[in-house]
Amino acid sequence: MALSFSCNQKVYLYDGSFEGLLNIVFDCYVQKQIPSRIIEEKQYIPNLLDTVEIYHTDYTKADRIFHGILKSISYQTLYENYYAFLANVPEKEMSILLYLLNGFSIGPKINTMLSLDFVFQVHSLRKKMLSEAHKLKGLLRFKEVGDNLFYACIHPTHNVIENVGQHFVRRLPHQNFIIHDATDRGLLFLYNTHQYQIQSDKNFMVPTISEREKEYQQLWKTFFQTIAIEERKNPRLQMQFMPKKYWKDLVELS
Amino acid sequence: MEIEKKLKILADSAKYDASCSSSGSKRTNHKDGFGNADVSGICHSWGADGRCISLLKILLSNACIYDCKYCVNRCSNSIPRATFTPREVAELTMNFYKRNYIEGLFLSSAVIKNPDYTMERLYETVLLLRQEYHFHGYIHVKTIPGCSKELIDKLGKLVDRTSINIELPSQTSLKLLAPQKEKAGIIAPMQYISQQIHTSSQEKSKWKEKFVPAGQTTQLMIGASPETDYTIMTLSESLYKKMHLKRVYYSAYVSINQDALLPALPQPPLLRENRLYQADWLLRFYGFTVDELLDQNHPNFNTLLDPKCDWALRHLEKFPVEVNTADYATLLRVPGIGVISAKRIITARREFHLNFENLKKLGIVLKRARYFITCDGKYFDKISSFQESFIEENLLYLERASTPASTYIQTSLFDTFLPTKEDKIKSLTGAF
Repeated sequence: MALSFSCNQKVYLYDGSFEGLLNIVFDCYVQKQIPSRIIEEKQYIPNLLDTVEIYHTDYTKADRIFHGILKSISYQTLYENYYAFLANVPEKEMSILLYLLNGFSIGPKINTMLSLDFVFQVHSLRKKMLSEAHKLKGLLRFKEVGDNLFYACIHPTHNVIENVGQHFVRRLPHQNFIIHDATDRGLLFLYNTHQYQIQSDKNFMVPTISEREKEYQQLWKTFFQTIAIEERKNPRLQMQFMPKKYWKDLVELS
Repeated sequence: MEIEKKLKILADSAKYDASCSSSGSKRTNHKDGFGNADVSGICHSWGADGRCISLLKILLSNACIYDCKYCVNRCSNSIPRATFTPREVAELTMNFYKRNYIEGLFLSSAVIKNPDYTMERLYETVLLLRQEYHFHGYIHVKTIPGCSKELIDKLGKLVDRTSINIELPSQTSLKLLAPQKEKAGIIAPMQYISQQIHTSSQEKSKWKEKFVPAGQTTQLMIGASPETDYTIMTLSESLYKKMHLKRVYYSAYVSINQDALLPALPQPPLLRENRLYQADWLLRFYGFTVDELLDQNHPNFNTLLDPKCDWALRHLEKFPVEVNTADYATLLRVPGIGVISAKRIITARREFHLNFENLKKLGIVLKRARYFITCDGKYFDKISSFQESFIEENLLYLERASTPASTYIQTSLFDTFLPTKEDKIKSLTGAF
């Protein structure tokens, strides 16, 4: 059954990285105590009643937890929690913390204990994040901005850029490309036909597109409009599959 | 002719084909190549009709020698005609693919000159894409009825999926509406492809390339000919069993041609198409047989209830099902519980006893399911409510609330939402 840890009523602030969170997991495991909240330092609004503790990521501790998960729990646990971590949902940190702490005492069986709230929560966050990533693998549009250089802009809810980027590295290995997460995260996925890199850049200038690009955009719009059957028109269904929040980045709808 | 004009004509001619999926193939990229196939398939956009766009769906040519009554491209129609060259198709595919507009190519063609000639042109195009452009994305190619086996063999090694559309679900309709096509010309290549797929998967070492790795599909047209749902579903079932098809698509007939032999439908029969798809899923993933769903006395699906609910209401003796003990196959037959929910229940109940609260937490939708299950012997309501009339009334209410008003009658303030007495009798007898 689920372990009960004593709660020290503190608020832990961390740097917003997965390693930072693993670092907290390490300390909670050692101290046998959990905080009442974990929140990213940037997003924290000070409150008179909170006792705050700021964590500076200790990578050796994070590394030990990382390998500990693989050794004493399972690969699936790491998979579920890492992708749940990338979901942009507040309060996700506590579910991940409880999942991992209980995982260390229960073992790989934790992955099937769906009626524990935090396990179900983590699994559904992972699902949310990966389903948006899957959707964007289809809805992302590259624009030619130079000789064999392509640029794509996305506005995802969750932090999907790594998962989506790796998909295109496998798919288009001979194409230089930039995927730009233009939300507040401001991330760039850069690939130069050999290796990729993820960078943070909030002031990235959107490059201008080539003449040839305009022709293909026009052809694509023509195809898109022609392929729909007038007699079956169903905008509600279209919107259900392709929510409006993605439209601004789509060539055929903007 | 300009490429844009051609694209407009040839996409317009191809749009009535319902098949759009890009799943089922694990084709990987090579060293110098472009693209790969994703086994779950990826949709890239959705058209104004809500259908997904995942492949560049075009005809190579729409200059047809046949005169099938239902077809937009029949030779007696006066529409603009166009033909792509293989290189034009390859350039379009590659450039759309590089921009991530599409998952691959769906190439079909009207019959030019004769079936073999047409098939050779298709082969030429695919060969160009695979060899010269090193394209390893998804390709779906239509097999032209009546073409030679050698061409099927050659093409099958290059493409991911192939399909031959049956369109008309009986031989009489075929004779009437597509007099130049023969049943044998459609069934024989289908059988041959199915055989080759089987052999290639059995003798892997002898086959360098997999033969049609994503399998073959077909399409049946709904509403252009008088066949009942029972006839159509029986045909689908035997296609799945005997030909091992991956999918049968159902396409509601859109009245494009004026002809004395064709019905003039004011609107395509979309609800009927939907019911057939629901039943098709029951055949493929839920372990149902057609004879359980329909019979000679009920040859058509209930328009008011989905096929699974309809079946469950007629077999209330099998319910309620106890979620904590029922096996997978039994759980799957509960309306509202699908493959994912059933698997989730089985995983979760190894560790915990399930009650209604837990089920909700697991994300099981109880809207329909709650009428058909018990948790630890408890029914969600008084057990005396477990009666046909009570369940039926509630299910019909749900169905109406979730279907867009336009499918039924426009609802107004004065409409009663509960079914009328007449509706109930209809839904029981299945007579419309």
